[in-house]
Amino acid sequence: MSTLQEYKCPCCDGAIAFDPNSQKMECPYCGSEFEMETLVSYDKELQNDSESNMKWETNAGVDWREGETEGLRVYHCNSCGGEIVGDDTLAASKCPYCGNPVVMMGQLSGGLKPDIIVPFKIDKKAAKKALVNHYTGKKFLPKVFKNENHLEEIKGVYVPFWLFDADARANIRYKATRTRTWSDSRYDYTETSFYNVTRQGKLGFSALPVDGSTKMADDLMESIEPFDIAEGVPFQTAYLAGFVADKYDVDSKESIERANERIKKSTEEAFENTVDGYTTVVPASSSISLANSSAKYALLPVWILNTDWKGQKYTFAMNGQTGKFVGDLPLDKGAYKRSLWGLAALLSAACLAVSYLIWLF
Amino acid sequence: MKNNFFALCAAILMAVASFSVMADGENKRLNDLTEPTLLSESENAQISKKLDDISEKHGMDIVILAVDSTEEGLSVEEDATERYESMGFGDDGVMLYLSMEHGDWYILTCGFGITAITDAGIEYISEKFTDDLSDKNFAKAFDTFVSQTDEFIAQAKTGKPYGAGNMPKKPYNIILCIPVSVGIGFFASLIINNKWRSKLYSVSRKTKASNYVKPGSLVIDASRDFFLYKKIDRSERSDKGDDGSTTHTSSSGKTYGGGGGKF
Repeated sequence: MSTLQEYKCPCCDGAIAFDPNSQKMECPYCGSEFEMETLVSYDKELQNDSESNMKWETNAGVDWREGETEGLRVYHCNSCGGEIVGDDTLAASKCPYCGNPVVMMGQLSGGLKPDIIVPFKIDKKAAKKALVNHYTGKKFLPKVFKNENHLEEIKGVYVPFWLFDADARANIRYKATRTRTWSDSRYDYTETSFYNVTRQGKLGFSALPVDGSTKMADDLMESIEPFDIAEGVPFQTAYLAGFVADKYDVDSKESIERANERIKKSTEEAFENTVDGYTTVVPASSSISLANSSAKYALLPVWILNTDWKGQKYTFAMNGQTGKFVGDLPLDKGAYKRSLWGLAALLSAACLAVSYLIWLF
Repeated sequence: MKNNFFALCAAILMAVASFSVMADGENKRLNDLTEPTLLSESENAQISKKLDDISEKHGMDIVILAVDSTEEGLSVEEDATERYESMGFGDDGVMLYLSMEHGDWYILTCGFGITAITDAGIEYISEKFTDDLSDKNFAKAFDTFVSQTDEFIAQAKTGKPYGAGNMPKKPYNIILCIPVSVGIGFFASLIINNKWRSKLYSVSRKTKASNYVKPGSLVIDASRDFFLYKKIDRSERSDKGDDGSTTHTSSSGKTYGGGGGKF
């Protein structure tokens, strides 16, 4: 049984036919002409296109050994539902996520033991100083806001993260153009050459963190990145002394989608950087699969302060390893409007004066 | 006495001869050939005198020609050029040509006129009289054309003709400058204040994982770039002389500049 081979125009995707006059393939829709060999090669490239397959082998975390959780206690927040873990010396009184009182539930049970913990490198004193620095230079921060904060409520929290390792194998095809211009006595010419560009290869990722706690806003945790996981050590309950730890409530499988999004974007960007010498480069298809994938369960150090102001909750976080401090601040709308109109009047007057001077000279 | 009588007769004959040439329209610098005419008698005399004065002052032919319609088969540019030549005007000149049938205007330049009034100059001058042409205020439009032409030629004689980026200074337009300044001031203030406001916000999602790429792990093991097809676009070049004037050549081989439009 014979099959009919149909070629599509690389320019407009219309079905194209052989033109006996020019002995070339010609698109009846956009008028482009192609050598037969070009279309055969292009068709082979299209057949290499495939869907992305980003599957993970996840075996993060291990079961607690008998007696290992004896020194750990669980506290429950009736307001946000958070469960925090601390050692039996912890006198936790307020939830680090919402600031409401917590009640002790009893000894830790269930869940997985973290593979890695990155110990705090920045102490509470430095965290307080970072918060004060965070307020400086903010023209529209309400004056009373910083006075109404409770610096003592800054809490050191080990936040649960899933760390993903993988080699991304990619096959990415681009449509690229190169232009050349020249002139003769009558016309300016622009020649645009169209290319099909393919890059295949791999890119490795190590310890990409995805927040495993629903109580911690994902954007807040991603804003304090990066963490240097090389400084991590095997988990020991002793590291929790003086701090609290959150139990994960988003498992590694649920976190994969977020990891895949970031790996895909970075892989596509890295591969596109290898396509040079063209005027324009546009991705046409992208297929990414993962190899050597694995995930680890880690506790990463974060200083957290929650504060309420005018009925709205503001959360600040500092990377307990690098000291990177983030957190959205409230806007003094009155100050903003005064500054907007005042500066507008000033700049308008200056603009008018400059226009007159330009006209004068 | 006899000699004086012959001298007087000769002078009268020359004046009559000169008048008859002007009456035939030959070498007359204001040629209002339309029916009915565009100007009243007094306007005609006033514009004619001004044209003659400026032409003599600069040693050029500054001409206005209005016709009912363009000669059949000729473009506005061709008709203006042919008529300028057929009326026997000099090698240095500027002519405003009007064809009333389709409301066409054209400024034709030749010789020193090409240097004095460039494409940018034609655009500048025409902006000043086309509204009056549209309003059928022909005397005012012609007067504006003559005055502007006088100014452009005088400037060109200084060795620095008006051209793109070097136009006569317009009066300071306070009515326009105030709203434009307020607009610029407001948008500049908006940009600056929003930049200050953005310092309050430091939380955002990460879209990439660049910080977690293993160093040296990028391996490209297949790299194929193949040519598909090419296309060539061409656009006509504008034929501009060194002085910024578009030129064309008449049937007699003389070079003219010019440009026109509708009113």
